[in-house]
Amino acid sequence: MRAADPVGLGRRALDRVARRTASIPLLSQVVVASALITLLVTGVFAVFLIAMSDLRGSTNVQARSKDVTTATLGLERVVNELEANLRAFVISGNDRFLRPWRQARDALPEAIAGLDKLVADQPVQREQLSRLTPRIQEYVSDYGVPLISIARVSPEAARAPVATTEGLRRINSVRSQLSRLLASEDAYASAQEASAKREAARAVRLGVAALVATGFLLLLFCVFLARGIARPVRDVAVGASRVAAGDLSTRLPEKGPAEIHELTHAFNAMARSLEQGQRELEAQNQQLRESERLKSELVSIVSHELRTPLASIIGYATLLLKRDFGETEVRRYAEIIRTQGARLTSLVEEFLDVQRVEQGRFELKDEFVDLKPLLVSEADVVASEAPKHQVDVLVPHDALPVRGDRDRLAQVYGNLVANAIKYSPEGGRVEVAGEVADGVVRVRVRDEGIGIPDEHQARIFTKFFRGEARESGIAGAGLGLAVAREIIEAHGGRIGFESREGHGSAFWFELPLSAGGSAGSPHEPPSP
Amino acid sequence: MAEATILICDDEPHLRELMRVSLDRDYEFAEAADTAEAIELAARVRPDLVLLDVMMPGGSGLAVIERLRKTPELASVPVVVVSAFVTDGDRRAAHDAGADGFIGKPFDPDELASVVEELLAANR
Repeated sequence: MRAADPVGLGRRALDRVARRTASIPLLSQVVVASALITLLVTGVFAVFLIAMSDLRGSTNVQARSKDVTTATLGLERVVNELEANLRAFVISGNDRFLRPWRQARDALPEAIAGLDKLVADQPVQREQLSRLTPRIQEYVSDYGVPLISIARVSPEAARAPVATTEGLRRINSVRSQLSRLLASEDAYASAQEASAKREAARAVRLGVAALVATGFLLLLFCVFLARGIARPVRDVAVGASRVAAGDLSTRLPEKGPAEIHELTHAFNAMARSLEQGQRELEAQNQQLRESERLKSELVSIVSHELRTPLASIIGYATLLLKRDFGETEVRRYAEIIRTQGARLTSLVEEFLDVQRVEQGRFELKDEFVDLKPLLVSEADVVASEAPKHQVDVLVPHDALPVRGDRDRLAQVYGNLVANAIKYSPEGGRVEVAGEVADGVVRVRVRDEGIGIPDEHQARIFTKFFRGEARESGIAGAGLGLAVAREIIEAHGGRIGFESREGHGSAFWFELPLSAGGSAGSPHEPPSP
Repeated sequence: MAEATILICDDEPHLRELMRVSLDRDYEFAEAADTAEAIELAARVRPDLVLLDVMMPGGSGLAVIERLRKTPELASVPVVVVSAFVTDGDRRAAHDAGADGFIGKPFDPDELASVVEELLAANR
């Protein structure tokens, strides 16, 4: 089990968010995040406003409570006035004290009504007031008014202890109710204030928490901006610098929000197309260099091929002109000059063939040709000039009938046999086999020579391509096989080979079997 | 004075004959048609001079010069390259390989004879 790692967890959570929001455009993400933060800040302000209004509510409660206390004390003063003046009148009998008593009695309803209004929404105080009010009224009407009437008639009776005690009892009851009212108002006010302060404190705590949360969200927003914009932009810049420095294989991961994805995708497309362009240019350059090299090699080869017969022609002609020879020698040298001249002619023909192939001016006769006698006679001609080689021709009993140009087909076949001899410089067996199979006439020339290296096999039919022939001292212009392929394909046939370096080659061609021929005839001697 | 022996190396029989006839008859001749034969004959007959074609079956004639130069008895034998590759580069390559003379094909029989005579005289 892995230990809990808060940083790692946080990063993983961020990565999860990043993955989930991967396809949403950056613009939308920024707008949503900004809106969220704005909402939160607004919420924080609202909470603070609530706290402030709670505090103001508490001030209001205090002010109102003070009013209630003042009004209660006012009522108490009126009551005191009533009591003091009544007592003074009873003791002195002087009417002078009755005026303030009456004034106090008249002020009573107003004082009660004022207090009643103040405690209208406080049931406890209201109930206390409603119990107090009849006590005061009873003190005035049931005790004060009768006592004044008694005092006028009999001051002694009014001053009797019974009357005094009754007055004291009533006024004490009023006073104690008044002080209860004050006490309960005090308790109510302080309870209200405490609750308001508690509310305000809670609102402040909530506000602070929201502020901290906002700060944290802002931090997250910054991280998100860095990850969502700054880092990808920096990555693209680094990638662009690398491309500018020439590393066209640079690729960026195509992920992130839509805009970044688009950007990296476009960047990769650009790098790909640059790389593609560069590769194409390099390939073209390579091709140009190769074709330059082939051209200069061609000039050298052609010149060599022409100079070799010319050396005989000019050399023997000079000898004939400058020195005296017997009849036999003269005839012999003249014959050499003639055959080397003919060799020169066929060489020029070969070059012209390439020209004809290139310009598409290849004219083929369409005649019936039996390849069987052609295979035998051409092989004889070549074999007579190659004493180190044994040329075996394996052909079936029946004909090998095709349609086409006899001379051109002889040229192809002659070229294959000549190559077989040329590319087995140590001598050895050259085997020619002709057969009819699956509606085609197939001719194969196999040697035990040097073979063709794998890296040259693909280009063996390319004109002027000679592999390592020059280095191996093998003459030729590299035209034979190129022309051979053109001729065979122009006959609707196929040409190919199998070869292994150091083990020899087997070149073959196939031509459609002519309708006039017989198919599936047995071989004699059998072809391997 | 003993007759000089000249080794002629060329894969074209007509050209070997032409070289033989071009030179005077007072030489002994040995003939090789490919590089292997050339090296084998050189070791056997110890020629006084070698006429050497460049493009021969079995490899380049220039490789034959290098082989000769590495053989103590044949290291100083004069070699004349007779080639149909006649560019400055081909001449330089022959010289670098250790050839003493170069004659381009086609050649004048008298020129061949005089080059051979001069080299034989210088080496005697």
